[in-house]
Amino acid sequence: MSTKHSKYAEDYLKDDPVVDRHDKTFFGVREKRDRMAHDLPEWEQLREAADNIKRHTVTHLADYLEQFEANATKNGIHVHWAKDADEYNDIVLRILQKHNVKKVVKSKSMLTEECHLNENLEKNGVEVIETDLGERILQMMQLAPSHIVMPALHVHREQIGDCFREKIPGTTESNDPTYLTHVARLHLRQQFMEAGAGMTGANFGIASKGEVVVCTNEGNADMSTSMPKLHIVSMGIEKLIPDYSAMAVFQRLLARSGTGQETTVYTSHFRGPRPGGEMHIVLVDNGRSDILGNQEHWQTLKCMRCGACMNTCPVYRRSSGYSYTYFIPGPIGVNLGMLRDSNHYYDNVSACTLCCSCDNVCPVRVDLSKQIYRWRQELDELGHADALKKFMSKRMAWMFNHTGVYNGALSMAKMMNWMPRWILNSKMNPWAYGHEMMKFPKKSFHKIWKKMKDEK
Amino acid sequence: MSSRDNILNALRNNVCETYEKPDLTQIKPVVFDNPLEHFKLKATTTAGAKLIEMDTDENLDDIVRRAYPDAKIIASNLQGVTAQLNPDTVNEAQELAAADVGVIQGDFGVAENACVWIPQTMKEKAICFASEFLVILLDKKNIVNNMHEAYERVEASKDYFQQYKFGTFISGPSKTADIESALVYGAQAARGVTIVLV
Amino acid sequence: MKVGLFVPCYVDAIYPEVGVMTYKLLRSLGVDVDYPEKQTCCGQPMGNAGFEKLAVPLAQKYDDLFRNFDYVVAPSVSCAAYVRVYHPALLKGKSPMHECVASKKTVDLVEFLHDILKVKSLPSKFPHKVSLHNSCHGVRELGLSSPSERNIPKFNKIIDLLNLVEGIEVVEPERPDECCGFGGMFSVEETAVSLRMGKDKLRRHIATGAEYITGPDSSCLMHMGGVAKKMGLNIKFIHIAEILAAGI
Repeated sequence: MSTKHSKYAEDYLKDDPVVDRHDKTFFGVREKRDRMAHDLPEWEQLREAADNIKRHTVTHLADYLEQFEANATKNGIHVHWAKDADEYNDIVLRILQKHNVKKVVKSKSMLTEECHLNENLEKNGVEVIETDLGERILQMMQLAPSHIVMPALHVHREQIGDCFREKIPGTTESNDPTYLTHVARLHLRQQFMEAGAGMTGANFGIASKGEVVVCTNEGNADMSTSMPKLHIVSMGIEKLIPDYSAMAVFQRLLARSGTGQETTVYTSHFRGPRPGGEMHIVLVDNGRSDILGNQEHWQTLKCMRCGACMNTCPVYRRSSGYSYTYFIPGPIGVNLGMLRDSNHYYDNVSACTLCCSCDNVCPVRVDLSKQIYRWRQELDELGHADALKKFMSKRMAWMFNHTGVYNGALSMAKMMNWMPRWILNSKMNPWAYGHEMMKFPKKSFHKIWKKMKDEK
Repeated sequence: MSSRDNILNALRNNVCETYEKPDLTQIKPVVFDNPLEHFKLKATTTAGAKLIEMDTDENLDDIVRRAYPDAKIIASNLQGVTAQLNPDTVNEAQELAAADVGVIQGDFGVAENACVWIPQTMKEKAICFASEFLVILLDKKNIVNNMHEAYERVEASKDYFQQYKFGTFISGPSKTADIESALVYGAQAARGVTIVLV
Repeated sequence: MKVGLFVPCYVDAIYPEVGVMTYKLLRSLGVDVDYPEKQTCCGQPMGNAGFEKLAVPLAQKYDDLFRNFDYVVAPSVSCAAYVRVYHPALLKGKSPMHECVASKKTVDLVEFLHDILKVKSLPSKFPHKVSLHNSCHGVRELGLSSPSERNIPKFNKIIDLLNLVEGIEVVEPERPDECCGFGGMFSVEETAVSLRMGKDKLRRHIATGAEYITGPDSSCLMHMGGVAKKMGLNIKFIHIAEILAAGI
């Protein structure tokens, strides 16, 4: 009875100090987020508003996309539509080839991870430089992100120092974060200068304006788009919101939820190309319109990728991003993975105690844990239900449905007390792996009740 | 069928139930007794910016020198600032990376989070990000309470996004905590920001 | 007022004293309590494991047994929450004769005492320091306390009740409403994570210096108790019903 998540997690959990640090790091972010939430009297109002705005927008998405496209085109932006990852990758490659671009600087975008853009561009001779510090570290170390907002917090400074010393000439022996950040700053500045195109994601697209908003703390999206003449935006179609009054709500929620800050340092509004430059927006579906048709799970489209559900998830904090088989971990990742390919990513559905903490931090109120519960119900039909779990559930249900059998089992239960410890504590009993077996009482409540009733 | 029509059709066909646009005027956002004081507090604490108030007898060059006495290369297109680089006339945006200090005009500040709205009013916006340090001039009369008011103001103005199609809210210097959560100023963009209240 | 007592399966089998103390407590408060003997399980273990369909007959049986009571009281928050949150959907369109009735009337013991009886005093004594375990489903599905994630006025109905007991000192651990890692089938499917969460939670409870860990759900206590015993940790476990009824 073990999913890939549970096995990877078991492996990860062998190193206590590492787990301790991981847990403390992300719970620390959650605590910062809590302070933000408690500092703002209108916090729950904002969550409700964000939920309602997204419900409205994603259920009128076709209209808003048309409005967005018309306005963006008026602003001089080229708008492209990609049905899936392949079409998206082709569109981006064609734009880059047309401009003869050999090097791209790129700010963080989960959509490009989803579509494997970097591999595709590299294959076609375009060098891609991630410019978010965490992403750049991972790129140089050839590692995948372990979190969607703080992708490299699981990597230790010594590892980063060693990597920089190998890859960036002149790096000294120091592993001080300030020093290493400065090394990366100088290294990346060179990349910004040389690149032929800047690529960004989009935190929000504003339909009424035909503009996109990108939020960063480092300013790397701005650096990426200030020097190269060509700017390509990759945007999932669900990122759209109607107007500025909605934008105000999301601007206030995003950083507070994600990193526990009142705002990101930069909230940048792109409404057209640079002077003498070109701006392209690629609108990507890649399964999103199908999700809209899924009655049980369409609300995952409300997600704005703040990462708060990961930070609060007690399972994520103790198993880390790499224990999940989908590139987005944590509660939202469990759900998005199943929506991407339920035959491939079902191993993550076990990674939830149904504690419901994520439902309560989510700024757009996606009912994440309820959805994981729903996925569990669907696993059997998909043919991925765990055989032992199914057997146990059936046995239990049979027993509970037959009062006589149940009562028989109750009187048998105390027999367990006389079973030799080595049988109870064997591998056949996963409970006993870390628990001492409970002592069964002489009499069940059923039995006691009969006696109490007579005395009444 | 084009992908565009394909996507739009799928979205229209797949909607299960629809929801009305919510009334956002119901939100009662935080307002401050003294927005300017709160702005100053946020700017100098969480945002990590420096703040100086311009004296009546000071000119802009004095102010820049007061903020960054060691600066050699100044970039600006503002009248009254002596600059070696002008973002309106540089040949390439890349040249602005040589600036020790960029001096720009902020439009208004936001008390709740120390954001300053910077509509692009120069040909190369690189000055706002590539300069080592940034000086933002801000009229202390122009402080709004929160982001709701801020976006109302951006919405209402006809001046933004006319000549240049970009605007940004900046709250302090570029920062990162990507290495072991240690907060470091000066990730990719400006290492320090000084807001000059005029 | 006629109250049906629901003693969930695992309480029935392993912690009968919790049922007994709940019964005694309710009787002492003048409540007319009955215990339908055909009851077994609410279906939660199957539902959480992904076999909700197997829980449908149990939900139906539950509804049949309890539909005529004014309230159903269960001394176990996760079971009460399963009945209240999930039963209506389980029985939707499935029950030929009626809509799901008992679900709405089902409350946890804490809710019943705090919100319905509005108990303001208890004759009980428990001169010990206890660390309160706020079980997730109590906090986030039944609303027994304000979840730490939310910006709503702070409250805790369990603490309100425990403070009526003479001599007691109630404390909460650091991270007062973080999950203990039980999660039903989760504990045997994700054993390593579950145990780690249990150990972390125990450590925080023990750090309060309390003699006992108490809570409104014996399943969390069972999980932590099993881990504590295996690790040889010296702390006792007690269900809140046993404290609230202590000395009655």
